[in-house]
Amino acid sequence: MEWVFYGIAFLVSVLVTGSAVYALYWSSKKGQLRDLEQGALSIFDEQEPVGQPTDFFPGKRRSRTVPKTH
Amino acid sequence: MNRAPLIFLGIFFTLAFSWTGIVLSNQLSYGKLQPITDETENKSYPELLPGLAAQGKLVYQDLGCIYCHSQQVRRPGFGADDKRGWGDRQSVARDYIREGRVLLGTMRTGPDLRNIGARQTSRDWHMLHLYDPQITSKGSIMAPFPFLFEKHKIVGQSSPKAIKLPAPYTAEAGYEIVPTPRAEALVAYLQSLKDTYAYPETKNVFVEPIAGTKKENQK
Amino acid sequence: MATAPSLVASFDPTSSPDLVKRAELSEIDASTKIPVLFFLCSAVLWLLVGTAFALISSFKLHTPSFLGDIEWLTFGRARTAHLNSVIYGWSVNAAFAVAFWLMARLSRSVLRHSGLLMIAGAFWNIGVTIGIVGILAGDSTSIEWLEIPPYATPLLFVAYAFVGAWALITFRFGKSGHIYVSQWYLLAALFWFPWLYSVAQIMLILEPARGTVQALVNWWFAHNVLGLWFTPIGLAAAYYFIPKVLGKPIHSYYLSVLGFWSLALFYNWAGVHHLIGGPVPAWVISAGIAASFMMAIPVVVVGINHHMTMVGNFSALKYSPTLRFIVFGAVSYTITSLIGSVMADRQVSEVVHFTHFTVAHAHQGMYAFFTMVMFGSIYYILPRILLKEWPSAMLISVHFWTVSVGITVYVVALSIGGIKQGLEMNNADIPFLQVVANTIPYLLSRSMSGILITIGHLAFAVNFTWMLLRPRAAQKTAPTLFRTPPEMEVVR
Repeated sequence: MEWVFYGIAFLVSVLVTGSAVYALYWSSKKGQLRDLEQGALSIFDEQEPVGQPTDFFPGKRRSRTVPKTH
Repeated sequence: MNRAPLIFLGIFFTLAFSWTGIVLSNQLSYGKLQPITDETENKSYPELLPGLAAQGKLVYQDLGCIYCHSQQVRRPGFGADDKRGWGDRQSVARDYIREGRVLLGTMRTGPDLRNIGARQTSRDWHMLHLYDPQITSKGSIMAPFPFLFEKHKIVGQSSPKAIKLPAPYTAEAGYEIVPTPRAEALVAYLQSLKDTYAYPETKNVFVEPIAGTKKENQK
Repeated sequence: MATAPSLVASFDPTSSPDLVKRAELSEIDASTKIPVLFFLCSAVLWLLVGTAFALISSFKLHTPSFLGDIEWLTFGRARTAHLNSVIYGWSVNAAFAVAFWLMARLSRSVLRHSGLLMIAGAFWNIGVTIGIVGILAGDSTSIEWLEIPPYATPLLFVAYAFVGAWALITFRFGKSGHIYVSQWYLLAALFWFPWLYSVAQIMLILEPARGTVQALVNWWFAHNVLGLWFTPIGLAAAYYFIPKVLGKPIHSYYLSVLGFWSLALFYNWAGVHHLIGGPVPAWVISAGIAASFMMAIPVVVVGINHHMTMVGNFSALKYSPTLRFIVFGAVSYTITSLIGSVMADRQVSEVVHFTHFTVAHAHQGMYAFFTMVMFGSIYYILPRILLKEWPSAMLISVHFWTVSVGITVYVVALSIGGIKQGLEMNNADIPFLQVVANTIPYLLSRSMSGILITIGHLAFAVNFTWMLLRPRAAQKTAPTLFRTPPEMEVVR
């Protein structure tokens, strides 16, 4: 009797893994995975650009220094 | 935002996957786990909790006993549960199927209580221990529960339910310490905790071979 | 300034997303002020309440006669009140505040319909308060992480329904054009949590499951609250604040995608490792152990990302309060998760299960990781919504050093104590009371660390309150690097 449950669990796992693989394939086809670095830059803008630190201890504002990027 | 539906689908499926595996499949397969009827004793095991003990279980929950005491005996060879006398056999899933709320516990600040009813049968011991654990177990870090007891003036004869506390806890002359109904219920619950019945599945338990001899697994 | 569509228009499926304009950062921050402030104030109050219960519980464990006559403070209830007030009081309120602020910023549009969030906050906090009082009165359900009595939980559900409605609207009208990694984590967390909580309520309280299936549901739920609610929110914050404070993009966005999906896939099978050796089917335990090992993947990936972003910029820790707390949290996340994977090994579990080691591990996760990340987030967010500086740099330093030293002492003491306790418990020659007596020095250390942590929390609360109360004009120094457009004085 318990084979029914294992069978269901197996089918569900196949479905889930299958949809995951399909989703990966779909997103690759649609170009979702191409320009990933754009995402990393999305939190910056003209007001708070790359290279500008945005937090200090109160009263200890420093002049603009660009942190080392690698 | 065109990726949002895709991400949402993935988020849904990942949790659905574990919910199906851990929760649903086990809920279904436990359905076939039934109590065993013992022909010789004409009883079914596991037994339902008797009334006073069931009330005592509510006191156990109310006071949070689960946070220091577990109720699950591990198999011989995995930890020292059996060697400490916490159980003749490991706890199996069937032991808990008639429990409305399963209190397995995850801490052993205090000892495992699954078989405390088999191990400690004295009501008086439990009463003293609950009043102040230091009385029976010096150095214990268990909380005292004096509020589970009342001080009564002795009118006529002293109550048969009164407990005899040692010095310095003894009540002054003319007074006695009597457990409240909550204490009686809690002790009844503790005394009901014994998983001594040997189900078919417990007869195939691993037994560590005695050093020097070749002992087969018990059948 | 972006105009807000009405609540009806927000729900109407035919409304165009262009109803909303892309907004300036300062506008967005201003729009989040009232709800975020409400949740933060609630969070700080609960932090103090939870800390008080923590101290009481900690003292009781080595000095059981401490307040021993008071029934409503008995250890079983005080400890439970502590857990629920720091989880559902402090942590969830802080999580909501940080999540809402982050979502507004990341969707690049002003926070709309903050009324929904205010109603949610009221219901949530009333529900938790009634729950804690109920626990102290003896109505705890005795189900770990689900102790709030059933008469209070409907309030929590109502609160969450409002949060869910608000979240849907915000995602719908998001204007960033790109979903940043933090947003995936937040979206996932907001979706997973009500599912977990509902299943737990149904299968443990309303229609209790059969036998030890209850234990399986309990630990699927409780571990996933940590892994699929608090962890994603903590990671979302770390992923945003580390690059934002430094002004440097996250090291590898591709790794963050991998990290997110592997966390989603593996974390939710791991919860049953709380039941190793217990009366549940062996296959589900083995699956849980396997998943716990696989968790090393997302943990290492996230660790690489955060660490490599920081490399070369560790000097920033000197000048940014936010970064100190967040980096402490991120490093703790890596360490505690790897320890967690090791704990799932059966031989290790045989020793540490049921001991204080588990308590140390839990606090390393919820405090050294999650709470520290929340502190860091609050240090960043509050000046930007109040348009004021933190009043005292000294109090910030006191806060940081007391709690970081405190939690380190806590985790180290109880880990060592727990291992010792476990080894001795597995040796039947050592009487149980002796095992207990041997843990006392470690429990005392934990109380010492608790006092340190309390000092830190008081410093934080004082600074927080002072900042709220001081008038904006009375500052001697310029605000931290953000603009103060005069027209932003108006708040929704």
